[in-house]
Amino acid sequence: MKVFSSTCTFDYSWDEVSTANWRKYCPWNDKATHVVGVDTLSRTVDPKTGILRTERLITCDQSVPQWVISLFGGSPTSHVYEVSYVDPVSKKVTMCSTNLTWSNVLNVRETVVYRPSPLSPNATTEFTQEAQITALCGGWQKIKNKVEEASVERFRENAKRGREGFETVLEMSRRVFGEQRDLEKQLQ
Amino acid sequence: MAASIAPECNDIKEKYDTCFLKWYSRYLRGNGQSNDCDELFSKYKTCLHKSLKEKGIDSMLDDARKSSSETDAEFLKKS
Repeated sequence: MKVFSSTCTFDYSWDEVSTANWRKYCPWNDKATHVVGVDTLSRTVDPKTGILRTERLITCDQSVPQWVISLFGGSPTSHVYEVSYVDPVSKKVTMCSTNLTWSNVLNVRETVVYRPSPLSPNATTEFTQEAQITALCGGWQKIKNKVEEASVERFRENAKRGREGFETVLEMSRRVFGEQRDLEKQLQ
Repeated sequence: MAASIAPECNDIKEKYDTCFLKWYSRYLRGNGQSNDCDELFSKYKTCLHKSLKEKGIDSMLDDARKSSSETDAEFLKKS
């Protein structure tokens, strides 16, 4: 098993980040063109805690390196199952994802958390990401290591692009929200 | 908003997503009791499930759901 982790801070409030997070893979995000579908499967508010639980299916094209496809076969389309939890009181979003495709070869478990940043909780948000990657294919340890290393590398590249793309979505969301507010004021 | 995996569900999905985002901003302010989006969501789900079944994704999801009880136990509690 290999672990990939990263953290960063966004200069936007937790409310803004947690809202924009739902549109992370929209056309504003030109860095996530590999995401071709985002579907909501279920959504409930837990009556005891008030926590919003959402299940989504994320569909990507070309998420694995070409040589992995050549080695194990299959199509370049892959699916990810994501369960997220929003606690509006403690202001915490947790997103847990696991791969549906390639699950007999590779198990990827990712946990992402968005929380108000301790230094400036009203204006900035801390993002932490951790992925556990385990190659399951039988046989040589060498191949398992190679698959895990390639996956970690792919994760690293995508994490950087993901951050850049999300920055664009945050900026656009703030602008559009501001315009909407101005429009509403004019209409009053 | 991102597209649906099933193009035929895109229209209803977009309506639902828009409704949800409006609801979400109220929910963050502690007013999430309403269920205005339920009808749209139920239509969208009907459309989507048909496609997931056809594509064989529903059985993959059933397997993945088995392990979500662990994360539910951890994150579906008051922190």
